[in-house]
Amino acid sequence: MFISIVDIRGAACEALVKASSTFSEDKVRAYLRAITNETDEKARWVLEKTLENSIISEKDTTPLCDDTGIPHPFIEIGKDAAIEGSMYQVLEAVQLGIGDGLRNLPGRPMAVKGEGLERLAQKHGLYEDPGMLLPAPTNVRIIDGDGLKITVLMQGGGPEIRSKTYHVFHKHEEMSLIDTAVEWALEMVAKLGCTPCVPAIGIGRTHYEASAMMIEALRHGNFDVQSEIESYITNRINESGVGPLGLGGRSTALGTFVKIGEARGSGIRVLCLRLSCSVEPRKATVTLK
Amino acid sequence: MAVIQLTTPISEEDINQLQVGDTIEISGIIYVGRDAVLPQIVELIKEDRLVEHNIDLKGGVIFHSAVSIAGLGPTSSNKLEIEGTMPELSEAGIKVHLGKGALSSQTVEVLKKHNSIFVVTPPISAYLTKKTIKREVAAFENEGMEAFWRLEVDRYPGVVAIAHGKTIF
Repeated sequence: MFISIVDIRGAACEALVKASSTFSEDKVRAYLRAITNETDEKARWVLEKTLENSIISEKDTTPLCDDTGIPHPFIEIGKDAAIEGSMYQVLEAVQLGIGDGLRNLPGRPMAVKGEGLERLAQKHGLYEDPGMLLPAPTNVRIIDGDGLKITVLMQGGGPEIRSKTYHVFHKHEEMSLIDTAVEWALEMVAKLGCTPCVPAIGIGRTHYEASAMMIEALRHGNFDVQSEIESYITNRINESGVGPLGLGGRSTALGTFVKIGEARGSGIRVLCLRLSCSVEPRKATVTLK
Repeated sequence: MAVIQLTTPISEEDINQLQVGDTIEISGIIYVGRDAVLPQIVELIKEDRLVEHNIDLKGGVIFHSAVSIAGLGPTSSNKLEIEGTMPELSEAGIKVHLGKGALSSQTVEVLKKHNSIFVVTPPISAYLTKKTIKREVAAFENEGMEAFWRLEVDRYPGVVAIAHGKTIF
């Protein structure tokens, strides 16, 4: 059986809409745990309202947040997958499917008109069509099996303001990197507003690798499966008492996702921290066979 | 947890009874604007031209959000053009600034001076969209989703974060 180009386009559309309108099961469980553990009445109210919002958005297939974010597509192709078209057609189908998804959702119309410096300054305004928003570069990976998976991750603007990628002199102490990530998170978390946050951390040899590891951490992260380091970071941030929406309480971070990449023989590592918001990670995968 | 109901226009007495930490729900006509448009509204106030757009800020609420086909949700109120316009907007009659994020101690004082408050709401767009009865552009249509919008809403929820010189942050 061949995997059709039409189905790939449909899968990209479906993944985008699902990512933008639903909480994953592990995220729902993380919220329920946070509600149970939260002793602050106002903090619990925010957590309950956030969960209630996800129930409405899933039922009505509407955006969880009006900042619907920038689509980040991933294609995983099975070693034995047979596809009816060329690689160009696959990539084009994913891009078209993302446009379909943005129109169906609908996404916030935020593609900026113009080129170069004029685009930066938004001199010509925005496109009204939400489908004009181009995705981030598509990531292609090879996996075992005969299937093809399309994953879409939607990245909102608020967390991009509360993110940082920079070098760290590690002093040959692994915890110096982790504690630096905690320090950066504590500097920014009160300003995020949309807490509980989900810190996503990538460590690599270059700025590109560190950012890519951060994205991988979000893509694969699971609130039910937290490593010792991830729990350590979550607990340190929760000690801040910032709480949901900055109102105080125990639930400042819902969980943490860390991905450690390659290291170079050197005194520095590049660390990327993104304080993802209370509706993130917005991600969904559709598998075709 | 008791929820205090407020309906616009909001009176001085309504504000006097509220304390930091109170949970409220707002119903009635509210305005929506954020960084792109609020400085332009301040210009209209200075030029005494609000009436041309049928805008009445007395006892009003301004929600810091865009209004798009994707819905509504709070943006960070500590953005320069948003927090920076709170003094003039409060003086012109705005009683409730609705958004998210911590504000400066100077803003706490400004709000106290005008008996206005800051209320925060979570990014619950699907919920807020469901609670929005009517929406229309009030001014600066050219700004699109960042225009100044007039909404009719039914029980928009929030928590009082700054009131009477006190802050939750």
